[in-house]
Amino acid sequence: MANQGPKSQTILVVGGGIAGVTAAIEAAETGYDVILLERGPALGGRVAQLNRYFPKLCHPTCGLEINFQRIRKLKNLRVVTMASVAGVKGEKGDYTVSVSVSPRYVNANCTACGACAEATDMEVDSPFNYGLSKTKAAYLPHEHAFPMRYVVAPSAIGTPEADKIKAACKYDAVDLEDKGEDFEVNCGAVIWATGWEPYDPEKLESYNYNLSADIVSNVQMERLANHDGPTGGKIVRPSNGEPVKKVAMIQCAGSRDLNHLPYCSRICCLGSLKHAVYVREQYEDAQVDIYYIDLRAHDKLEAFYQRVAADPQVNFVKSKPASIRIDEEGRPVLCGENTITRELYEAPYDLVVLATGMKPAASEGYVPDIAMEQDEYGFLVPSVEGDGGIIPAGVASGPLDVSMSVQSATAAALKAIQAVGPKS
Amino acid sequence: MTVALPEQATRKYDLGFARWVRDNVNGGAKMSMCMQCGMCSGSCPIGTEMDQGPRKLFMMIRAGMKDEVFNSSTIWNCTSCYNCTVRCPRGVPVTYIIQDLAAKAVEFGYVKKVENARFAKAFWWSAKTFGRTDERLMTAKYYFSFGLVEGMKRGLANLKIAIGMVRTKRMHIGMPHKIKDTKGLQAILAKAAEIDARESKGGA
Repeated sequence: MANQGPKSQTILVVGGGIAGVTAAIEAAETGYDVILLERGPALGGRVAQLNRYFPKLCHPTCGLEINFQRIRKLKNLRVVTMASVAGVKGEKGDYTVSVSVSPRYVNANCTACGACAEATDMEVDSPFNYGLSKTKAAYLPHEHAFPMRYVVAPSAIGTPEADKIKAACKYDAVDLEDKGEDFEVNCGAVIWATGWEPYDPEKLESYNYNLSADIVSNVQMERLANHDGPTGGKIVRPSNGEPVKKVAMIQCAGSRDLNHLPYCSRICCLGSLKHAVYVREQYEDAQVDIYYIDLRAHDKLEAFYQRVAADPQVNFVKSKPASIRIDEEGRPVLCGENTITRELYEAPYDLVVLATGMKPAASEGYVPDIAMEQDEYGFLVPSVEGDGGIIPAGVASGPLDVSMSVQSATAAALKAIQAVGPKS
Repeated sequence: MTVALPEQATRKYDLGFARWVRDNVNGGAKMSMCMQCGMCSGSCPIGTEMDQGPRKLFMMIRAGMKDEVFNSSTIWNCTSCYNCTVRCPRGVPVTYIIQDLAAKAVEFGYVKKVENARFAKAFWWSAKTFGRTDERLMTAKYYFSFGLVEGMKRGLANLKIAIGMVRTKRMHIGMPHKIKDTKGLQAILAKAAEIDARESKGGA
């Protein structure tokens, strides 16, 4: 690294989702040396798993590809995947960051030809599809992964399958002896963009998520609607593959609930409105019922709400459903009180989508205890006494949609540049 | 033509009622947290047997519908299962509020109008006197609370069930079963009433 030394101007970005990628590129394009760490095998984070954005319904792959092109042009931006931070020491202008890289078992020789995946029959749950499908034990993280390189699942290592995978590779790219590595980085500022986890729907006990495959979370719905998802983009009942005629969305499934996430996750109302559009685009006769406490389509997003609400086959039921039971035919049945009519309902559906909220990823795993602190919910804020050298960005700092995450990340890049000072 | 204005509302609204509930009902201070989501009414196992359900009852409190709240069957039909309290996303102790509203309804003499309160009163009389529920005396007390003729009618209508219960030893003939120390029980209850009076005076 060019700027290593007691006083470093290198900017380290932790997290390769849309916020981390944006912050790294924005900082690097001004000429600073930037290192971008990503815990998983590819960049893009949760955004790469989305089908489309609200409100314009355009595809996230488009913006991600533009960002990956920018990364390819930047010689001063280094991307390290499979990497997580084990510790941060020091102060603004001189941090020592311990990085731990877990094994990928595939080196840079990989051409993404796919021979390794064909060679094995072993399958693992697809993390990209949130467990809705299986993937081969040697797999490409997703179809436009960056870096475009395969991964071998750790569970295959030590089995005969691993040897088959290795033998199939013509480029000597499979390294079964990969032990990962630990190293230290010296840098002047850190942007912490570790993002979020979907709230675990199993914790919503009365919704019985585990009792029916036809109860899915909103992030799973994104995969169901995506052309490279488990159903090739066709929204069907996961239990039997049949088309859906009646779909329910349950808002605030976990959010705004003192028993779960006390805060509003901000994206779920618009997400469910978007899911209603996904369903209605595919089925002329489908009915979508959105169960809500109140709909929060903030500022200009109101127009998207009005657009969806104009569809007579999308209904809004003012009610937080109390429970979901499974009827004799195996269909999920929503039970609760319609708070406008005071009627108690029991309504069966083909598919129920739980609009689960965003839990900060920082609530688990390592978080530096210098310069930043966690608020009561686990989101990160700069600490009052801190020197401003570690800057939270994106959803790590609070529930944000993609456009707000990008704004947050760009602001963090500027803060990081200010922290390390004018380019020397 | 312009549509005529709606007729003047004749219902009385007591605008200080919500504040009174906040200050005087157990758990009432948390009622301002209610966001009318319906989780409580939807979770109630006997929700279909309630005229209002907790969510609407809370809205009626806010609206100042004092008489309607105290005359509601909802406060008497609660079985204290605590489903609503456990699931409430806003931490409102729904069960406590409903229970105390029932107690207040007794205190302010609303119970005569509420059918369900008769049974609760008979139950409490038996529990307090014997430390147990005596099926015969409690039922008799409940039936005759409707008046002599109505009491006889109800008793006769259920005679067959009563005989069946005696035969299967679900009901006995003879002196009512009592706990060993009814005096002790009454002392406990008196103390509880004293603590309650003291704490509610302090506005706790």
